Amino acid sequence: MTARRGKKANASAGSPRVTSSVVDATATRNDAFVRYVEPEIAVMLRVAQTLTGSWADSEDLVQDTMIRAYRAIDRFDGAHPRAWLLTILRRVHLSSHRRQRPDLLTEPSTLDQHRPAFGARSAPSAEEAVTDLVPDEALQRAVQSLDVRFRTVLLLVDVDQLTYAEAAEVLGIPTGTVMSRLSRARQRVRAHLHDADVSRRTR
Amino acid sequence: MISSIRTMLTCHWAARRIQRYLDADAAAPLTAAEVERLEGHLAICEKCAEVYADHRMLRRRLRLWSQTDLPDPAMVARVRLAAHQAMSEDGA
Repeated sequence: MTARRGKKANASAGSPRVTSSVVDATATRNDAFVRYVEPEIAVMLRVAQTLTGSWADSEDLVQDTMIRAYRAIDRFDGAHPRAWLLTILRRVHLSSHRRQRPDLLTEPSTLDQHRPAFGARSAPSAEEAVTDLVPDEALQRAVQSLDVRFRTVLLLVDVDQLTYAEAAEVLGIPTGTVMSRLSRARQRVRAHLHDADVSRRTR
Repeated sequence: MISSIRTMLTCHWAARRIQRYLDADAAAPLTAAEVERLEGHLAICEKCAEVYADHRMLRRRLRLWSQTDLPDPAMVARVRLAAHQAMSEDGA
């Protein structure tokens, strides 16, 4: 690091104009990075966790994505940073040959974390729906039972709260496909919960 | 008879729009006329109102997962730090 700094100091003595433009370019790039990329770190981690099925893999994937984003930020026009980052994330994910884990959401620790959300539920509303009567574990099983293509879209939109267009960017599929998969995924989860509720009541 | 057929057709029409109504996503918004027709139908059709309530609860409960299973703040900090290291190395 010190050696590099020393080299830069020498270069600046030789051609101050060139060096100051390099410094400016770096500063601009860093500013853009801080403005567009940093606010999306948490969202990228969530999405990466949905894609990889683990937080550890998610961290690696997002770090690689950030480095690629930094190198490409000169060519980014400033519009829709999240969509731009999600496209990079998808490419990094594909090129890293990380495989989606089929046992997504089945880790006991994950179940433990989700349980309080159900327990902490406030008083049921007057229009309580069937899906609200079944325990959270049943909801997890219903989501788990989905084919991975449907499950991933459901998690990206309903849990990670991406828009249709952002989910389409992550998966590299048309927005219309996101919508149809999402619709079918939700219908299947709803049907699954109805079945679970019926069997619970008749037990 | 005609009125029950009309209701059935509206149920079919409504079923294709309930999720989009809840999502209110910029990529597929309902028109004001569609919203009005859908809300009018949900007010009188018990079956569609139940579908709507189910999807609404489903959304709410899945959204809770995102609040109970957040990325560790230490992880966010590590990623940020790694990015800054990459910046200083590239920029040097």
